[in-house]
Amino acid sequence: MGIVKIFYKDDCPMCPMAKQLRDTLQEKNVAVSDFNVGTTDGLAEATFYRVMALPTILIEDEAENSLQEWRGSVPHVDEVLHVVHGL
Amino acid sequence: METTDLNLFVRTSEESILNWDRSKISDALIRETLIDRDTANELSKEVEQQIRKSGIQVITAPLIRELVNARLIEKGLESTRKMHTRLGMPLYDVDSLILHPNKENANVPHGPEATNLTLAEGIKKEYALLSVFSQEVGDAHMNGDIHLHDLGFIDRPYCSGQSLEYIKKFGLDLPHSLSMAKPAKHPEVLLAHLVKFAAALQSHFAGAIGWDAINIFFAPYIEGMSDADVRQLAQMLIFEFSQQAVARGGQAIFTDINIYWEIPKHFVDVPAIGPGGTYTGKTYGEYEKAAQRFAWSLFEVFKEGDGAGRPFFFPKPIVHITEKFFHTDGYMDFLNLICDVAADKGNTYYVFDRGETAKISECCRLSFKLDEQDLLDAKEPWKMRYCALQNVSLNLPRIAYMAKKDDTKLLNLITERFLLTVKAHKEKRAFMEKLLSLGENGPLALLTMNRDGSPYLRFNHASHLVGMVGLNEMIQIHTGEEMHESKKALKFGIRVIAHMNLLTEKIRRQEKMKIVLEQTPAESTSYRFARLDLRYFSPESGRVVKGDIASGEVYYTNSTHLNVKYAMNPIERVTTEGLFHPLIEAGSISHIWLGEAQPSKEAIADFVIKTFKYTTSDQIAFSPEFTTCNKCHRTSRGLADTCSFCGSADVDGITRITGYFTKVSSWNKGKLGELKDRYRNIDYFSTSEKRKVANE
Ligand SMILES: [Zn+2]
Repeated sequence: MGIVKIFYKDDCPMCPMAKQLRDTLQEKNVAVSDFNVGTTDGLAEATFYRVMALPTILIEDEAENSLQEWRGSVPHVDEVLHVVHGL
Repeated sequence: METTDLNLFVRTSEESILNWDRSKISDALIRETLIDRDTANELSKEVEQQIRKSGIQVITAPLIRELVNARLIEKGLESTRKMHTRLGMPLYDVDSLILHPNKENANVPHGPEATNLTLAEGIKKEYALLSVFSQEVGDAHMNGDIHLHDLGFIDRPYCSGQSLEYIKKFGLDLPHSLSMAKPAKHPEVLLAHLVKFAAALQSHFAGAIGWDAINIFFAPYIEGMSDADVRQLAQMLIFEFSQQAVARGGQAIFTDINIYWEIPKHFVDVPAIGPGGTYTGKTYGEYEKAAQRFAWSLFEVFKEGDGAGRPFFFPKPIVHITEKFFHTDGYMDFLNLICDVAADKGNTYYVFDRGETAKISECCRLSFKLDEQDLLDAKEPWKMRYCALQNVSLNLPRIAYMAKKDDTKLLNLITERFLLTVKAHKEKRAFMEKLLSLGENGPLALLTMNRDGSPYLRFNHASHLVGMVGLNEMIQIHTGEEMHESKKALKFGIRVIAHMNLLTEKIRRQEKMKIVLEQTPAESTSYRFARLDLRYFSPESGRVVKGDIASGEVYYTNSTHLNVKYAMNPIERVTTEGLFHPLIEAGSISHIWLGEAQPSKEAIADFVIKTFKYTTSDQIAFSPEFTTCNKCHRTSRGLADTCSFCGSADVDGITRITGYFTKVSSWNKGKLGELKDRYRNIDYFSTSEKRKVANE
């Protein structure tokens, strides 16, 4: 099972879409953590993952290996589910 | 107040005691403080009585003043005493200063001029702490919570970035100078103007003077010159700057020259200024080839080194690597050349301007990302004059001792200290504003000269730097692990800097001041903080300070760097240290210590390209070590006790201290401790050589 990390900011044009993706994934019981880069923890996590564009969506396995990433764009929920479920 | 007034007091013969005039005491008190006349008179009588009673034969003005001060304390007139205080130095200190070298800044050689500088700095430092800064800020500096850099240069801004275009357009027309020079017609004249102006600027700034895109702005003068002449000009430029050690206090002019292989986007369409200060009718984009020829020649000179084959200490060449660099003809040849210099002499600094950002580099680490207004200014490049007014660093390990492993407390303490640095910046800013308001009749006349509709120093563009020392030790104290030891420790380190980054944003909005984070070079600060913490936070501090406590060669790891001793693949180090760089706006660097290794230029070039493409590192530099012989004047690789050519023990070690090359003998103890610890990447580069040979 993959774990999804979503990075966003309060005032970026595509970020509402990323937040929507988060809500949809949560409804489907996918493990999602979201990070607002306007907060210390969010900015720290984004820095660690070298997030240079917002929104960014990363999927990792349990050992924190990257499975897939979208930097500066928001994928369709099916694409995410595909990776999360290791299909 | 005239100094001659005081001289009357200073006389120490018996005669002057007979000429004793008590009213001098009350006059001084009334002139210098807010005391009332009656109290002043009473005080002078008391002091007079004390002196007579003591039967002292010889009395000096400073002693009388201190006697008065003692009375003021007894009477609880503390604020009056502060105003009446005297700045100066004990005889013992002056004696040792004159006899022994100053190790605060390795760029200052020892000599009468240097002693003058140190003495003056001493008094200005005291003045700053008493008169420019509030008690709270002064105390925090004294006890080592924070460090106010360059206090001895309190009456100057910290460092600056300059544009050659200013001299090209306006000539050399400095306030109060005896002659005015019109815009240069010939390249050698332009060079002479540059060097003179740099020297004038050095006496108005505490730190570095950086020159932007120097090869591009010289280009209109270079077109049509023969290769030999261009080479000659490059040689003159480097020798002029490296030999300016006759300037302030015998200090070399701390000069950075910024070099581009490509014409960066923001200069491509800018009309070029040529001989005589007039437009040539072409844009800088059209001078790419001439700019490249000059850049090439400069690096050929760096490659040769000075007369003894040593690296030039100054000017520091900073090459900007942009996306466009890799799409510009001949980039690989140029990259190989500058990497050859890096491998052989170490001079080259690589600054990475990724994506759409453009940067201006100045000072040790200071760089600015150009904002929209700056990019507009780029159309009239003589306007691109930047400065930082001051640099204040936080003692991060100190905060960790106090937070007792409580995250919330730790972040709160950082906020408190951060706000204190903001206060320090406001106080310096107010003081500078006062000096600058005196205009061309004031002490900073040069910075107020107005040739293009605004003062030379563009005060509203000035930034304020907040630095950090010892993040690694802070994390070690707080989490039990150093940052290279676990992902958790590293992530906590990033969290601390993220917190500081968000604070700068907040303050910028609230106070309308350009507060930016910088990796402090902290040549002496990391030593000072470590020493003070050993005193105040023992035994915990004894477990984390780096270096050797027994010999006193102790230090904290600079800024956000990882432990310098830890054996780590250099790519991994640059990648991990580079994680912090996007949070530190005014510039960061990773050092790759080479020791005696001499990698091939191809290995370095490969490293540079990888760093650009796969990391977020802002800047890297490779540092070899040398031993130079004072007897046979030859230079060999590595640090050794004797000359490998003639066996003489009269040798100097040379390598990079923080932001520049210098002789190891001038380093302070903390830096010497670090030098012993530095992990030299000898294996990495020799095995990468072997790998390469095997592949061929
Ligand atoms: Zn020798």
